[in-house]
Amino acid sequence: MSAVLPQGFEALEPYVGHWAAESIAVRAELRGTSNIAERTAFYDVAAPLAVSALDYLDTRAMAHFDASDKRLMELMLSFAHVSIAIEIQREDEEAHALARNSMRITFEPSGRVFD
Amino acid sequence: MNNQSSAFQPAQNPDGLALGTGPIPAKPYYCPEYFDLEREAIFRRSWLQVGHVCELLQPGDFIRREIEVLGASILIMRHKDGSLRAFHNACPHRGTQIVKEEGGRKSRFSCPYHMWTFGTDGALISAPDFDKFYVEKADCGLKAIDVDVCGGMIFVNLDKRPERQSLRQYLGEDFAEKIDASIFSRVTHFHEYTYEIAANWKLTYDNFQENYHLRFIHPKSGAAASGKDNPFGYPIDYGFHGQHRTQSIWSNPEPEITPTQSLAFGRAMQFAAQDGVDQGVGTKQYFALFPNIFMFCSAIQPFSHTVYPIAANQSRGVIRVYWIGPDDSASKRFAREYLMATARDIHAEDRNVIEAGQRGLSSGALDHIHFMEQEVLCRHLMTQVSNAVEAYKEEIEQ
Repeated sequence: MSAVLPQGFEALEPYVGHWAAESIAVRAELRGTSNIAERTAFYDVAAPLAVSALDYLDTRAMAHFDASDKRLMELMLSFAHVSIAIEIQREDEEAHALARNSMRITFEPSGRVFD
Repeated sequence: MNNQSSAFQPAQNPDGLALGTGPIPAKPYYCPEYFDLEREAIFRRSWLQVGHVCELLQPGDFIRREIEVLGASILIMRHKDGSLRAFHNACPHRGTQIVKEEGGRKSRFSCPYHMWTFGTDGALISAPDFDKFYVEKADCGLKAIDVDVCGGMIFVNLDKRPERQSLRQYLGEDFAEKIDASIFSRVTHFHEYTYEIAANWKLTYDNFQENYHLRFIHPKSGAAASGKDNPFGYPIDYGFHGQHRTQSIWSNPEPEITPTQSLAFGRAMQFAAQDGVDQGVGTKQYFALFPNIFMFCSAIQPFSHTVYPIAANQSRGVIRVYWIGPDDSASKRFAREYLMATARDIHAEDRNVIEAGQRGLSSGALDHIHFMEQEVLCRHLMTQVSNAVEAYKEEIEQ
């Protein structure tokens, strides 16, 4: 049985269930529907690991990611969204989430996004 | 000139001043009768952007696009000879819309009603019991529409008049060359997000061609677009190309960057360098193509924004952030998703205030609105719209 996440990123395991999402639309929505405690807890653990996580994943071909690599990638992509809430929107995030709902993500580089 | 100095001076352009300084009539922003005139004078006669060539790479690739203002459903497809073809999505038999899918790959298109079947050149290939009709197959092809490409962007034109212009005539050769030389000719993939808005297409579009509002509507998400030398984030220069216009976007030389911005921007800049994208001056050109698309030529976050009119007070926006090459590494995917999300944050902030403007205008409270010096691109758009509508009115009154 493979590890939940690659070695060195075990600290992120508690966040896999909530934040590791395959769809970009879901990742964007998770940012908008989470509360500040959930966002902050994830951000505080993910931010110090982000550079090393990307560096590690960059050594592997995306087509050959195993399940643990894939989960780490999905966590980093959710982190991209959450970091904007924490670092930029800050106290405005809750109100901003309502405005973002009107901007429907319809395509990503791999093709059409289905809700 | 794109040279930036610390002593920023707002752009002055004599061509812009020639547009006048007077108040602007408010009615064209909410009046249904004016919208009807715009439909015929502008949208039925202009080259309209509907996609990008990266969507139609292989023979048989097709996209369906709805142009609500004209009530038109359009099919654009790649024929086996490599050429692009565009047709009305309407069976010549009895008008039935043939294609429901938004896109895909097919060598033949069959009408669901009576199975008339067409090729990617629009020709009728087969129709059941056709010898009982009173027409020739050669006269029963899909109705063709003019289609052409500039800067990778696909444009269609529904003008049926013999005097209609080619796309390059419409854009002007010099301006078309600038667009062809832009990053949009090289992009291959994109993120897209769309929105509907209870606002006139011009009011919506104008929001994105002036920076006067940035510090008020985007104090956080747009902080890097202004600075102490340029607190409103006004552009470096403006340019006018017939019905079209440009601006060079100012960059804050000392922006406050958050840790994750630094990570995402840093990696994106590495990829831009690997792709040979110019990251110096000239990389933040903004091309506004009449009537309803602009292209923002950022080195790391190039995007297009098209505002499709639906009614006098209703529009639909399509924003695409474009990329060169697929997501082939974790860092590339991370940087792209981050950059898309930051653009979406900014655009989300604009929608409510544009709708508030529409409500004020639609109330009929105002006879006029006002554009200041640094809203000259808005004045230019309204001037082009007004010129086209007045010319059309003269034409139909003759």
